[in-house]
Amino acid sequence: MVDINKLREIAKEVISRDDVRQVIGYRPGTYGFRARPAFVLEPDDVDELIFTPACVNNLATYITLEEKLPVPRGQEPDSRKVAVMVKGCDSRALVQQMEEKAYDREHLLILGIPCRGVVDMDKVNARFPDVLEKGEIALEGDKFVISFNGTKEEVAKDELLADKCKRCRYPTPLVSDQLLDDEVERFAEDDYSDIETLEKRSQDEKWAYWEEKLSRCTRCYACRNVCPMCYCEDCVLNRIEPMWMRRSVDVSENTAYHIARAYHLAGRCIQCGECQRVCPMDIPIMELNRKFYKDVADLYDYEPGTDAEASPLLSTFSVDDREDFIL
Amino acid sequence: MAVKKLSKDKVGEALKELSKFRLVAPARSDDVVIFKEISDPAEAYLDYGNSTVPPKKMVFPQTETLFRFMVGDPELKEKNVEEEGTTVIFGIRPCDARAMSIVDKLFAWDYDDPYYQKRRALTTLVGMACTEPPSVNCFCTSVGGSPFSKEGLDILLTDMGDYYAVQALTEKGENLQKTLSSQLEDGGDEKKVEEMARAAEGKIKRSIKTDGIPEKIPTLWDSDVWKKVSASCLGCGTCTFLCPTCHCFDIQDEVEELGEGRRARMWDSCMFSEYTLHASGHNPRPSRKERTRNRISHKYSYYPNKFDDIACVGCGRCINLCPVNIDILDILEQVVEA
Repeated sequence: MVDINKLREIAKEVISRDDVRQVIGYRPGTYGFRARPAFVLEPDDVDELIFTPACVNNLATYITLEEKLPVPRGQEPDSRKVAVMVKGCDSRALVQQMEEKAYDREHLLILGIPCRGVVDMDKVNARFPDVLEKGEIALEGDKFVISFNGTKEEVAKDELLADKCKRCRYPTPLVSDQLLDDEVERFAEDDYSDIETLEKRSQDEKWAYWEEKLSRCTRCYACRNVCPMCYCEDCVLNRIEPMWMRRSVDVSENTAYHIARAYHLAGRCIQCGECQRVCPMDIPIMELNRKFYKDVADLYDYEPGTDAEASPLLSTFSVDDREDFIL
Repeated sequence: MAVKKLSKDKVGEALKELSKFRLVAPARSDDVVIFKEISDPAEAYLDYGNSTVPPKKMVFPQTETLFRFMVGDPELKEKNVEEEGTTVIFGIRPCDARAMSIVDKLFAWDYDDPYYQKRRALTTLVGMACTEPPSVNCFCTSVGGSPFSKEGLDILLTDMGDYYAVQALTEKGENLQKTLSSQLEDGGDEKKVEEMARAAEGKIKRSIKTDGIPEKIPTLWDSDVWKKVSASCLGCGTCTFLCPTCHCFDIQDEVEELGEGRRARMWDSCMFSEYTLHASGHNPRPSRKERTRNRISHKYSYYPNKFDDIACVGCGRCINLCPVNIDILDILEQVVEA
C-alpha cells in the first residue's frame, strides 16, 4: 500500500521545486467510489492527493494531451518539468511515447506507483449500487475493503479487479525518477486465451459479433482522446478535405473508424485498457488491440512500451522480418 | 381524463397493437440500453433505469439525410420525413421528454426546422415515471423537472406493481389511449399516483440552487474557474452526445458512387477542437477551457436567457459517463463560489 503521507510529502517537495510546473496525480471523485485526476500547482494543493485502487485513469495521457497554445510575443514558453504519477501499466505509455520521441525525457519527472491492481468501477457499481456518499476502496491482501456510509465490506479481490490487472505483467513502473512504494513483483501472466477464443470464430460469427457492438458506437471519440498513444496533432478523423472518414454515424463508418484506430495502434498499444474503460457504449475495444498486440509479439518478438531505447516497430526494417503473410 | 390501468400481462399485447406505428422502445444490446425501433414486443426492456443514449435521436437522428443530388444536376431530391410515419416512443423517461420540449424552442426559433418539426409532430411520447431514481446523479428536481414530470409527454405510465397507471395528457395521448382500448381497463388510482410522485421526488439525492447562475456565468468570462474545472477534460463528445438537450449539428456533403451524393447533418459537439475552427485556421475557442466554458454557459446561461429554460434536465448522464469524473454540479458549485 502506498503511504498517503509519504505520497503527499514527496509531491510537496516536487511541486516546491523551481523546475517543476505541475504534479499530475489523483484526488477523490465527486461521488461514490470514483477518483479523478488532480493537477497540483501549489504546495498547499497536495493535501487532496490520494492513491487507492479507485485510481483507474492513465495519467500519461495528459502529457501529450496538453494544449500548446501560441506564446504571446515577449514571453518565453514554460519549459519547467511536468511531474506525473504512473502505475506500472501507465508507465509503459510514457516509455512508448519516449520511444517515439514525442518529447524529451527531461520534460518529465516520473513518480512511479508500484501497483497491485485497480478496480473495475462498473463491477463496483454493480455490487454497490446507488452509493452517492463518498466511499473508499482499499486493497488488503486478496480482498478489497469497501467503506461507505459507516459500513465496511470485504470483497474477494478477483471479483472487483479490472480485467487488465488479472493479466498484468508490469506492476512496477518501468520508468521512474522516484518510486512511491516498494517494488511489486509480477503476480500474473497473460496467456491470450481470450483472443485465441475470438480467433477461432468463423468469419460470419465475427461479423455478427462486431456488427452489434460497432452499431452502438456514437463516435464520441472518448476512446481516441483518452488514449496516451493517440497524440497526432492533426488526427486523420478531423480532416475534411480529403474526408478520409465520414462523419456520418452508421455501422459501416463506425467499423472503418475502429479498424483505423486499431491499426494505428498496432505495435504501439501498451494495453492500459483506457479506451474500453471509457466507452459509454461498452464496445470491447481491447479485443482488437489485444489481437494486434499478440500478432506483433508472435511475428516480431516486439513488445511496445517496455524499452525507451528501442526503435518503434513500424519504423524499423530487418531483412529477417517475416513476410510469409504477404500475398 | 380518467386514469386507466394497463395490466402488466397485457403489455405485450399493447405493444403489438402499437407496432402498427413505428414503435420505439428501450432495448438491451449487451449491458447497454438504447432506444430503438422494435418489431417484437419481447425486445422491449421496460425494467430499466435510463438509456445510455437519450431518445432524442428518434426526433433528431445522429445522422440524417437532408436531400440527395447528382453531381452537376441542379435538381435535388428532398428527403420526406413523413415516410418514416407515425412514431410511438414507449417508455421514455420524463426528463428526456422534457428535454424535447426544451429543444423544440430552438428548432422553432429563427428558422422552422422542417425535419425536426415534422418528426416531432409525428411522434407520440409514452412516458414511464421514475418511481425510483435511475441513477444517484439524477437532479431533475433542481432544474424544473420531476420524476413524474408530464411536460412534453402525451401519456404518463406509472409502475404500480402488477399494472401501469395510464394517464393521457394530450389529444395525441387520448388518441393513442383509444387505440389501446381493448388492453386498458378502468380504475387507475390518481391519488396513489400523486402520492408516489411526491415520494419519488424525495428520493432524488443530488441538487443545485440555480437561482442567479444564468446571470452570474457571463461575469466569469475571464475567471480562473474554467481552467480549473476543465483541467482533466479529454475533449471527447461523451457529455454532449449523450445529453438529451444538446442539439448542435454539422452539415456535410457526402458523394457516393457515380457522382451520387447526399447532404447529411450529424450531431456535433462543442467539446471537439474543430467545432469552432475557422477556415483561416483561427479558433476562437482554442482550448478545452473555452470549450468547457461554452458548454456550461450554453446550458445554464445563454439558453435560459433566450428561452427561459435551463438547457439541462438533470438526467445525470454526463456525470455518470464522463471518463474523468467531470461533474456538472461540481462545476456549478464552483461557479457559484467564484
